Amino acid sequence: MIGKDKLFSLFEKVAKSSKADETEIVYIGSNNGLTRFANSMIHQNVNEDNAKILFRTVIGKKIGVASTNSLVQSDLKDTLKNSFEIAKYQKDNKNFPGLPEPAEYPKIDTFHESTANYAPKDRAKQVKKVFVRANKRKFTAAGAFATGDGEIAIFNSKGVRCYQTVAGASINIIAMSDTSSGYAVGLSRKVEDLDAAALADIAVEKAYLAKKPKPLEAGEYEVILEPSAVAALFEWLNYIGFGSKAFLEKTSFLADKIGQKIMDDSITIYDDGNDLSAIAMPFDFEGVPKQKVFLIQNGIAKGVVYDRITGNKAEVPSTGHGLTANEHGQGALPLNLFLTTGDKSREAMIASVKRGILVTRFHYINGYIDMPNAVLTGMTRDGTYLIEDGQIKHGIKNLRFTDSMLRAFSNVKGISRDRQLIPSWWDAVGCIAAPTIHLGSFKFTGTTDF
Amino acid sequence: MKDKLNSVLDWLKNKKVDYADARFVRVEGESIRVTNGVVDTLAKDVNVGVGIRVIDRGAWGFAAIASIKEADIKKAANKALQTARASATTVKEKIKLADVPPYKDHFASPYEKDPFEVPVHEKVGLLLEISDRLKNHNLIKTAEASCDFYKTKKLFCSTEGAEIEQDLIESGAGYTATAYDGKEVQKRSYPNSHRGDFATRGFEFIEGLRLLDQVDRVREEAVQLLTAEPCPDTECDIVICGPQMALQVHESCGHPTELDRVLGTEISLAGGSFMQIDGLSKLKYGSEIVNIYADATIPGALGSFGYDDEGVKSQRSPIILNGMHVGYLTSRETAPVIGQTSNGAMRADGWNRIPLIRMTNINLEPGEWELEDLITDTKEGIFFDMNKSWSIDDKRLNFQFGTECAWEIKNGKLGKIYKNPLYTGMTPKFWNSCDAICNKKHWHIWGVPNCGKGEPMQVARVAHGTAPTRFRKVKVGVSK
Repeated sequence: MIGKDKLFSLFEKVAKSSKADETEIVYIGSNNGLTRFANSMIHQNVNEDNAKILFRTVIGKKIGVASTNSLVQSDLKDTLKNSFEIAKYQKDNKNFPGLPEPAEYPKIDTFHESTANYAPKDRAKQVKKVFVRANKRKFTAAGAFATGDGEIAIFNSKGVRCYQTVAGASINIIAMSDTSSGYAVGLSRKVEDLDAAALADIAVEKAYLAKKPKPLEAGEYEVILEPSAVAALFEWLNYIGFGSKAFLEKTSFLADKIGQKIMDDSITIYDDGNDLSAIAMPFDFEGVPKQKVFLIQNGIAKGVVYDRITGNKAEVPSTGHGLTANEHGQGALPLNLFLTTGDKSREAMIASVKRGILVTRFHYINGYIDMPNAVLTGMTRDGTYLIEDGQIKHGIKNLRFTDSMLRAFSNVKGISRDRQLIPSWWDAVGCIAAPTIHLGSFKFTGTTDF
Repeated sequence: MKDKLNSVLDWLKNKKVDYADARFVRVEGESIRVTNGVVDTLAKDVNVGVGIRVIDRGAWGFAAIASIKEADIKKAANKALQTARASATTVKEKIKLADVPPYKDHFASPYEKDPFEVPVHEKVGLLLEISDRLKNHNLIKTAEASCDFYKTKKLFCSTEGAEIEQDLIESGAGYTATAYDGKEVQKRSYPNSHRGDFATRGFEFIEGLRLLDQVDRVREEAVQLLTAEPCPDTECDIVICGPQMALQVHESCGHPTELDRVLGTEISLAGGSFMQIDGLSKLKYGSEIVNIYADATIPGALGSFGYDDEGVKSQRSPIILNGMHVGYLTSRETAPVIGQTSNGAMRADGWNRIPLIRMTNINLEPGEWELEDLITDTKEGIFFDMNKSWSIDDKRLNFQFGTECAWEIKNGKLGKIYKNPLYTGMTPKFWNSCDAICNKKHWHIWGVPNCGKGEPMQVARVAHGTAPTRFRKVKVGVSK
């Protein structure tokens, strides 16, 4: 950790030499470790000490961006100069409203010393517990255990000084039998919250229950989607629908539907960067405080998130969801997603199914087929089961689904009363909090051999 | 830098490690994106650091640091050593690496025009002109054009005495028109979807793409798709264009023949493979006309290089010969499992990542057909053009791919255009139904700049040489 004072003092010095009208410096430093295992053995074990320092310089409405991973003052000055030279060649961006003014953001604690100090030997110790649990059933285990910490600082010439230290830990476990697999996942800012042995037990029992899977014909089935499966669907819906770029370019399934009912009454999804029950982050990469934004509320399309540029284009304020300056072409994206819970237990939902499928997770989803109708396709994996007469009967071979999520999530039969944090590609600054959801109909369109 | 890396490696040798290597990498990148006449990204990035890989007590450890100071590199080396010792507490069988000569060499990729020397305003001007012309229709909602350039300097040293320097330049560009009529959204792209086409060449590659020549066609086809019929749900013969064939080879042959996947070490994220070792030289992967090679030696192709990131010289290796599965993409650690030496497929996404088995140029060898003759020979079918969506199961068997558009083939002629086309199948059955591949004239190596793999995620730049290809009796359309 470099620290707030040292970073801002360095950036003050560097920014003094800026010839631009406005200057922004974003620092993302990280110290990450990841232990990867397969065949009940650690086979990859890596550490990375890295940083990204992004300069955004503004001349009128012309914007230049340059970045480096070196904190050496001369490298920073060179990068600033590059950014300024780029801005000179730019065209005016008429939607750019200028860099933000300073604004108060909630002071929340997103750092945990224990996570930051977690060493490779600590991770190895936990991973060995996973191997022991898997071996009880003569299974093997694969997965990854990641821990890390970092600091994020946003500095601009208008006085924005945002600083946050973060830490995070996640583990995913796949237990493998000779004919099946089972999956479990955990995510927290506090590494001691992750119980590797308990998660291993879940993965092992899932694999055990899925042994010798039987084929099932593709078709429409009632489904119970566990949190990892729900989160994977909403991760894609987020990407194709809840961001400002997709919305303004009309490819989003929310475009021209605000105020209309698009899903079941029980579906509410919102973004909240300040909720400490998940992976909170109180400001975005422009230094704008994060607002709580409802995307779908009681099944009704409510809106999307914005950064400064796309907000200005849409004539609304930024909601505090800007990405780093080199990604501004992507528009704003929600990174702290919550699906609201219901009043059911997972067991009660399973008991209510006459004939249906229980899905642990999905694999390789793609949402580019028909974006306005939110059509997704993907495969099940690591624990898919037939439910008959309210009981899990046996594992089934994996299936491909292809369906409109607007259709599928318009027939919700139940939502669990608890939800789980599921990591995503942005897990240093957010995640998806997802419950188990019981849908009345889900279209499976293909089968495979395992 | 060489002295610093060797000094740290000497320190590790003194610690009696089994093996260590050190990689210095400096990547300079430039990205320009224009959307509807606005340059929304004009960014340069410089990324420098050193990664140290150690085998100690038979197990791996890796540490990377964003510094080129010898003291910092030594700290990283010590961390890699301690990490290897943590890994060793779970080791079942000690790692053994296939032998490789410790090369001392320098490799530079060929280029004529350094893209970083081309004035920024020239590159921006080209993209703005494309964007303006793409937008020249009231139903085109979004006109996007982009180009990306990378200049990479690498130095690889090992405790075995290797000292390999490489200088690579990579360039790519492309554009997409998105049409919207109030209810339907359709896209067309050139020269390929997902950021265009890429090569390990200079700006002359961008000039050779003749980007402006196709703008009007792309715009009009995007608009045409708005009122096109949906692709029917049926089973029929299909012809797949070159760029979509690149995706087909990538997903259904490239990934399942990565030997680390086969051995189960990528299970936790990407999955495994149906192409198991007991099927080597026994599995009839495709029909007899299917020949696929991994070839990292082709000058200028995006998956080409001098040496991989564990010091193995670039090679051409057969993967599928006359339809039979005969080879894998391998590394020094995995090749001995099948009694071979590495065929040089280990690459890392920068100094801060370990090398993994990655595709190089995985090429479907050209056949004999002229495209026109192939269409004429297809009585009833569908021609699929340019990738839009992709999904495949975690053993690479069941796939479903969507393309931007398709055309009916009726009585040997291209007919009406279809929107939202999809085709699906099971990999070996699909490739065994392949009965015609177009000739060298229609063959091109498509650069794929965004192949994801590993935890932490790594993105590799790979390529696929393909030509339009026909498959018999394929399931088409499942989107309704």
